[in-house]
Amino acid sequence: MHKFIPPFVLTLLIALFLVSTKAAPVKKKLPAKVSIDTTKIAVKKFDANAIKKYKRDKEFNYTGEAVGQPSLWERFWNWLWDKILSLFGRIPFIGPIFKYLLLGLAIALLTYVIFRSLGIDAMQLLRGDAKKIDLAYTESLENIHEMNFDAEIEKAISQHNFRLAVRLLYLKCLKQLSDKNLIQWQIDKTNAAYVYELADPVQKQTFGLLTRQFEYVWYGNFFIDKDIFSNINLLFQNFKNHLP
Amino acid sequence: MEDEIFEQRTDLSKLSAAVEQIKATLAKIIVGQHDSIDLLIAGILADGHILIEGVPGVAKTLTAKLIAKSIDAKYSRIQFTPDLMPSDILGTSVFNPKTTNFEFKHGPIFGNIILIDEINRAPAKTQSALFEVMEERQLTIDGQTYKMEEPFTVLATQNPVEHEGTYRLPEAQLDRFIFKIEIKYPSLDEEIAILTQQHNQKTTDQLKHIQPVLTAQDVVSLRRVVLGLHVEEKILVYVAKIVHESRNNKSLYLGGSPRASLAIINAAKALAAIKGRDFVTPDDVTYVAAPVLRHRIMLTPDKEMEGVTPDDVVAQIIQKIEVPR
Repeated sequence: MHKFIPPFVLTLLIALFLVSTKAAPVKKKLPAKVSIDTTKIAVKKFDANAIKKYKRDKEFNYTGEAVGQPSLWERFWNWLWDKILSLFGRIPFIGPIFKYLLLGLAIALLTYVIFRSLGIDAMQLLRGDAKKIDLAYTESLENIHEMNFDAEIEKAISQHNFRLAVRLLYLKCLKQLSDKNLIQWQIDKTNAAYVYELADPVQKQTFGLLTRQFEYVWYGNFFIDKDIFSNINLLFQNFKNHLP
Repeated sequence: MEDEIFEQRTDLSKLSAAVEQIKATLAKIIVGQHDSIDLLIAGILADGHILIEGVPGVAKTLTAKLIAKSIDAKYSRIQFTPDLMPSDILGTSVFNPKTTNFEFKHGPIFGNIILIDEINRAPAKTQSALFEVMEERQLTIDGQTYKMEEPFTVLATQNPVEHEGTYRLPEAQLDRFIFKIEIKYPSLDEEIAILTQQHNQKTTDQLKHIQPVLTAQDVVSLRRVVLGLHVEEKILVYVAKIVHESRNNKSLYLGGSPRASLAIINAAKALAAIKGRDFVTPDDVTYVAAPVLRHRIMLTPDKEMEGVTPDDVVAQIIQKIEVPR
C-alpha cells in the first residue's frame, strides 16, 4: 500500500478541479428581498374576574392558614375529649385508659347491635357450644304432646269434618306409639318411616293399614262420611287396644 | 282391608301390569338394582329424560338398552365422543343436485327413545345442541322447526366426572334430566348371581329374546294418566319448601331450580302410580328428592373437600322440613 499520493497525481487533481470550476455556468444572483410579517397579534390579558375568583377559592390558597386546620366537627370532639380527660387528669395514666375503655365499649355495643340484627345468639357463641345448635326445624304449628286429641276429635265430628277427625286419630295414634317408646317422634319422619320403625310384625302390619287409611283421606282427598269414619275409627280403637 | 273402605278412583291396572312386566323382563338379565329400575320406569312415566351414572362395567348401558327395548318405539343410539359435532346428532342440510335444493337429513336424535352412551365424552359445544330438543321437544335448524314425535325420552349414561377423558355437563343441560340415577357396584351376593346367571345362559346376546311390553302410544296414554294424579296443596308446599331450602343451604352454592320442583312433583306422581295410588304422599316426595336434586345442586368447594355428597345435603334439607300431616 502506498502511504503517500505521488506529487504529479496531486497536481493533476488540483488542475482538473480548477478547470471544472471554471467550466461550470455561473448563476446570476438575485437582489435580496425583505419579507414583512403582516400578521395581526392580539395581546391577551388575564381576566381580572377569574383571578379574583381563584383567589377567593380556598382550594387554591396554598399559603393561607386553612391548610391542616381541624374542622368544626373535629374541634367539637377535641373539646369534648379535653373536658372528659380533664376530669381524670389528676390521676396519672387514667386519661388514656378511659379513652380506650370508651372505645372498647363502643365496639362492643356495635357488635351487639350487628349480632341482634342478624339473629345470632352472642351469649351462646361466648359459651362455646355453637356446634350444638339444633337443626333449624320449620316451626310446627302443632305439638302432638300438648294436644287434647279427644276434645279436638269430638269437635271435628260435631262439625262433620271427618277428614280432620281421621287426621287427628292418626296423630293421636302416633302419640300413643311415641309415649310407649315404640317410635321416636320427629317432624321430618314420614309415615312409612314410622311403620318401618315398629319392631313387632303384627303392629307393623296393622299400623301400615291404618297409615294407608289416613293417607287415602288426608293426601288422597277421598270422600269420607260418617259411616266410613266409624269404620276407620273402629280400626284405630282396635289397634290402640292391642298396644302393650 | 283398605279396599273395603276406599275404592280406586283411577284405573291404574294397565299401568301396574305394564310396570310388572317391565320389571320381570329386566329381572331376567339385571341382577338387583331394584331402586334404579323403579326410578327408570318412573322417569319415563313422568315424561322426563334420565341420566344414569356409574363406573365402567356396572350395566348402565345394558339397563338403559333393556328399558328402551321394552318399549316398541323408534330407538336410536348415539355414542358420544370428543370429536362429535352438533350436526352429527341433530342432522344437517345437504344439497340435492337433482332438485337443486337443500334437503334436511334427520340426525339420530329424531326418535322416541334415544340412548346417548357416555354423554360426558363430548365437549360443551356438542352438549349445547341438546338444550332445545330436550326441553322443548323440538329442533330449530336453518329457521325451520321440527317437532319431535311423542314419546321423546333421552336416556344418557355417563362415567363419574373425575374419570379420564370426561367433561362435566353444563348446569343447564343437567337441569333438563329429571333424575340422575347412580348405579353402584353390586354386593357380593349379587355379583355371584350375575356370574351364575351369565354362565347358565351361555350366550353373550342377552337382548336377543327381549320382547316389547308397551307401544309408543301406550307410553303417551300412561303419561296422561300420571299427569292427572291428585296432589294435595300441602304436598306442593312441602316440595316448594325443600327446593327453597336448597337455595339457602350453606353447604350449597347452587340450589334447585323451579324446574326441579316440577320434576319432584311429576316424579312423585309417577312413583305413586307405580305403587298403585292415584295421589302423592310425602314418602313419594322424599324418595325422589335425591335423584331429582343431586345433579342440580352444587356443593361449596369446602364441603366438596370435606367429602360431603349432594345426597348428604339433600338428606339434611329433608330433615329440616316438617312432613305435612
